[in-house]
Amino acid sequence: MKLLAIFAAASLTGVFPQIDKAPRYQFAGSDQLAFQILQGAPADVFAAAAPKYPQELYARGKCWKPVVFATNTVVLIVPRANPAHIRSVYDLRRPGIKLVVGAPGVPIGDYTRKLLAKLKLSSVLGNIVSNESDVKFVVAKVALGEADAGFAYKTDVKAVGSSVRRIALPAAGQPTVQYELCIVRATKHLQAARAYVREVLSPRGREKLKAAGFGLP
Amino acid sequence: MRAAFALLAAVALAFLALPVVAIFLRVSPATLVHELGDPVARDALVISLKTSVLAQALVICFGTPTAYLLATHRFAGRSVLVTLVELPLVLPPAVAGIGLLAAFGRAGLLQTSFAFTQTAVVLAVAFVAAPFYVRTAIAAFESVDPTLVAAARTLGAGRWRVFARIALPLAAGGLGAGLALAFARGLGEFGATIMFAGSLQRVTQTLPLAIYAEFEQSFNVALAIGALLVAFSFTLLLAVKWLRSDLISGSRFAPSTST
Repeated sequence: MKLLAIFAAASLTGVFPQIDKAPRYQFAGSDQLAFQILQGAPADVFAAAAPKYPQELYARGKCWKPVVFATNTVVLIVPRANPAHIRSVYDLRRPGIKLVVGAPGVPIGDYTRKLLAKLKLSSVLGNIVSNESDVKFVVAKVALGEADAGFAYKTDVKAVGSSVRRIALPAAGQPTVQYELCIVRATKHLQAARAYVREVLSPRGREKLKAAGFGLP
Repeated sequence: MRAAFALLAAVALAFLALPVVAIFLRVSPATLVHELGDPVARDALVISLKTSVLAQALVICFGTPTAYLLATHRFAGRSVLVTLVELPLVLPPAVAGIGLLAAFGRAGLLQTSFAFTQTAVVLAVAFVAAPFYVRTAIAAFESVDPTLVAAARTLGAGRWRVFARIALPLAAGGLGAGLALAFARGLGEFGATIMFAGSLQRVTQTLPLAIYAEFEQSFNVALAIGALLVAFSFTLLLAVKWLRSDLISGSRFAPSTST
């Protein structure tokens, strides 16, 4: 297999190398990766945490038809010590809470805003102290104990273990989180890229995704 | 040989100038000016100026006495102290960022609640910019002719009077140059700020952070902010040249060393 370049959402950092450790991976916010591919970055496969960006590349003729390969769940996380004593998402309304979220346009940032809007909690946005460029930075700032709370994916909580605690969210607020991947049209390794996508969609790939906490379509 | 050197110099100059020029050529100047009216750009400009002014005020207040002491005293461990002062010059900003978190973070050594506030931006800017000022200030104080200081002391001037009436005026050009350099470096600060202060419009989002936030959303706004920073930096560096030449003409009175 040729050395593929896989551009993947930051939340796939843990699981993709488990499915195939051979390719060169670049993990970042899906929006950043899509922008880089549009600027001609040499990616072979693009895997995003939201359909928006693969669909946009597809519409612009930059990648082949995207497929859904995983789903995820948005969760509220707090540092293990829970300095702000947050017990539910409604506690985020308290003034002075230091909330860290993804920036608008970053998938986790958009999901977070959708979730808060559904729960009629958009006022909580006033407690944001930082808009981060991908979900890993959100998790890091909560895990360090610098932020009081943050919104991330269920799979991220699994990855950082005991340094954060998960606070249950009302199911009514949960947005649909779908991961899509596509083969970049400019790839010079079409066969290998196809094989990689097949690997992710294979029973073994699905097994790994499931073990990491992802949902399956 | 001269032709070869000229050719290499031309390549070097073109390489350094091209990205800067390209920022101004990508869209029309009218568009650049128009995009600077974007709320993100305007808010970032206010945050950048405010935090830079505060940070440089701190740098002057604490940096000037530090530089004066280091310039006028020789003692064991002095070179270690000077190296410590210079260290942020070469540290990757990411290291400065985790260092500031480890020191001033809520879970850090001093356990402050500065993270994600404008104070955090000011500290990050001061941390990376201070060495530019202090280094230049040490050199400026060292270039003050010691015979003038000795003469003043003989005539009965106290230490404070010597500092205020002799050393400070003679070093002023150098201090100004150092301040301009520190200001230019501080305006460009990115890595330590995004790690320690985060990024939030109207609170901690400085001009470089706004470029990062906007470059996928609205490339023209990012370009406009970039153009603004280029113009600022160019002006500041030019100011350094003037202040330095002032320093050198000032050295008629203090001819010992030059920076």
